[in-house]
Amino acid sequence: MTYVLIASAALGGILLFLLAAASANTPLFAEHYPLLLVLNAVIATALLALVIYQLVVLARQRRAKVFGSLLTFRLLVMFAIIAVLPGVLVYTVSVQFLAKSIESWFDVRVDKALEGGLSLGRAALEAMLSDLTRKANSMALDLSGVQGPQQTMALGRLREQSGVDDALLLTAGGRVLSSASREALSLVPSMPPPAALRQARSSRSYAAIEPQGDQGMLLRVIVPVGSLSLSEETRLLQVTQPVPQSLAEQGESVQSVYHAYRELSLSRQSLRNIYILTLTLTLLLALFSAIALAFLLSRKLSEPLAVLAEGTQAVARGDFSRRAPVTSRDELGVLTQSFNSMTEQLDEARSAAEANHAQLETAKGYLESLLANLSAGVLVFDAGHMLRRVNHAAENILHENLSSLVGAQPERWQKLPQVAETLREQFAKQLETAWQLQIELPERVIVLRGSALPPTGGGGYVVVFDDITQLIAAQRATAWGEVARRLAHEIKNPLTPIQLSAERLQAKLAGKLSAEDALALDRATQTIVTQVTAMKNMVDDFREYARTPAPVLEPVDINGLIAEVLVLYEQSGVEVRAWLQEGLPQARGDRNQLRQVIHNLLQNSQDALLGSVAPRIEIATEFVPGPAGGRVWLKINDNGTGFPDAIIQRAFEPYVTTKTKGTGLGLAIVKKIIDEHHGSITIANRPDREGPRGAAVSISLPLAQAA
Amino acid sequence: MLRRTLFVLAFITATGLFGSAFAEVIEASNVSVAQIDDALVARADFGLDLTQRLEEALNNGVPLYFVVEFELVRPRWYWFDEKTALEKLTMRLAYHTLSRQYRVSRGALYQNFPSLGEALRTLGTVRGWAVLERERLKPDEGYVAMLRMRLDTSQLPKPFQVSALTSREWTLASEWTRVAFTANPAGSAAR
Repeated sequence: MTYVLIASAALGGILLFLLAAASANTPLFAEHYPLLLVLNAVIATALLALVIYQLVVLARQRRAKVFGSLLTFRLLVMFAIIAVLPGVLVYTVSVQFLAKSIESWFDVRVDKALEGGLSLGRAALEAMLSDLTRKANSMALDLSGVQGPQQTMALGRLREQSGVDDALLLTAGGRVLSSASREALSLVPSMPPPAALRQARSSRSYAAIEPQGDQGMLLRVIVPVGSLSLSEETRLLQVTQPVPQSLAEQGESVQSVYHAYRELSLSRQSLRNIYILTLTLTLLLALFSAIALAFLLSRKLSEPLAVLAEGTQAVARGDFSRRAPVTSRDELGVLTQSFNSMTEQLDEARSAAEANHAQLETAKGYLESLLANLSAGVLVFDAGHMLRRVNHAAENILHENLSSLVGAQPERWQKLPQVAETLREQFAKQLETAWQLQIELPERVIVLRGSALPPTGGGGYVVVFDDITQLIAAQRATAWGEVARRLAHEIKNPLTPIQLSAERLQAKLAGKLSAEDALALDRATQTIVTQVTAMKNMVDDFREYARTPAPVLEPVDINGLIAEVLVLYEQSGVEVRAWLQEGLPQARGDRNQLRQVIHNLLQNSQDALLGSVAPRIEIATEFVPGPAGGRVWLKINDNGTGFPDAIIQRAFEPYVTTKTKGTGLGLAIVKKIIDEHHGSITIANRPDREGPRGAAVSISLPLAQAA
Repeated sequence: MLRRTLFVLAFITATGLFGSAFAEVIEASNVSVAQIDDALVARADFGLDLTQRLEEALNNGVPLYFVVEFELVRPRWYWFDEKTALEKLTMRLAYHTLSRQYRVSRGALYQNFPSLGEALRTLGTVRGWAVLERERLKPDEGYVAMLRMRLDTSQLPKPFQVSALTSREWTLASEWTRVAFTANPAGSAAR
């Protein structure tokens, strides 16, 4: 585009110069003048096409809403105005001036003067011609009488007398009869042209001024010579006389000026056209070049803006990587530079914000995982008492899906009425300090700790709670143990003196009493001793329960343990059947305590089978795969009386027993041991078919490897 | 103004290309070429009539130049015709205001005529124009001679040249008249 413009402008300039030179009458270019005109027109048309093309491109960009095209257009219009206005002004003035000045060359007075000069010259010539004609006529008259050889002498004489330069006597056919000349040496004088002869014959006279090219002018008069006899051949006399050189020159110069003037006058319209055409072409070339240049300039000016706009759009899209190139050292360059630095700062700020965000996210994630992995349940309420957050442990502890309650105040909760009621009450108190409450839910006891969140974080409350059922059970067990130990100690101490005293009483009084009394004493003593022994056993059991140490967990072969214990029951008179699974994995537990468990359970069964017809005990082991590697199951069934319905719910509590003699601590100890082994124990009555009822005890223990 | 100028420019361009089609016509007659002695001699009569503008210009002292153009081509069936010769005969017609004579010049020779008609008649009569030497002709070859007469506008004063571009009143030309002949040592061909 640029090069096209430069080339066109340069070519146009050269052609214009040539055209101007041609207009100024330089013969070198004059003959190519039309060609130059056409070439200039072509260049102007090409420039016009260029301008139109640029305008079309610009218009298309405007329609496509290319940024900067409007600015380009405005700049273009401004430049164009700046270029066009003075150009058109100069052009108009020039054209006017041209027309006026060309018109002013022509003046009626000059015209008249020139014409007058010409007429004057012509009149002078005419006068000379008529004078010559007169002389010719008089010579012809004199010659009319002269014939034959006298002619030449007469002609010479007459020429001499009338002072004519050349005289020539001819026949009507043009044959020379005689001639006389001022210069004796001169050759035949100039012969009359046939047309002149013709005219002289027909109109009896010929007089003309004949231009002789460079030799000035010649006056030529031809007259017929009168003849005396009709038979005589008509003769013609030609008299010639050159116009005096000074007169001829003056006349010629007047004529040439007159011609030049007339030519100019005739061609003034064309001349005006030429100048106007040249001017117009100049104007067009200049204008189109200027507009095309203006286009390029405005492009160049608006280009950085478009780049900036592109950068801005990129920034708006979130792309901070774009940098506009700084091309100029002016304000636009400064602007571009500041835009770049701004973008850079934005980029940095954004990456900093992103880093912050990531950090926050990490912290939040950390808190989340903390909350999720917290064993305590957490409920977070906002200042409006609305539930905001719940962790997984809370749902586990409360055995409820709490996600449906998020966003609701405790009053609106559909479930957990107790918890909701407690929370509502506590919130209503508006306590600043932390509070702690213990509430009992069915089968569970939980402790709630609530505290208000600082108002700077938006306020609200956080409630943390724990299932303390196990804790309470443990506390109770500990308390029981303590009581049992104390009681055992306190009770056992007086028992030995009581027994000894009773035995001494019997020993001392046995011989002194009557047989009847002695019998009574014996019976009483026996009773005391028996009861004291029973009480001792009871206290021992009690102490045993209380003293059960913490288990030492290690891998235990349950099958081996069962085999050991069963040896003791071989002679008991009760049929014991064992189904022990082969390859049973080792369980994790305390060998001695587990032995006691088996022992206690077998003892219970044996007790339940007293008086039974066909007493039978079944003992079985089994491995059941499941979570955490699966569990080892130990099942002991009997066909005894089973558990009465009244106590089956409380069978594991101390001092709950159906046996006439027994401490009621057996199952309690079993339960305690199994709990400490993280196992589970269930008791049930066997399905009541036609046979006797029986108890079924199932124990599951964790695997050794899973620990 | 701009539009008018553009229009004028377009008009100039158009008439510059096609202007000759509207030219005033010079009638050519009796065109012949003869091989006399060792030259090829052409003769022709051209009926001339000046337009009003031309006559006005002439009477105001503008000399008019007429050119008789002679072109000799050798037709070739296998290729473009060979241009053997291109000759020009320039004649000048001028008016001498002081003596009211029309002058026809041909080189150094000139003739004066008191009336324009006689001058034009003389101007249009081409006799014995030895165009070229016989040696340049190949014997027994067929040739076509072409003749025409036209007003040489390039010799007009510049303003009139520009007018001649736009106005057909300033153009005057005859059609090319073609005469075929065979060159042989003793023969001549005439129409």
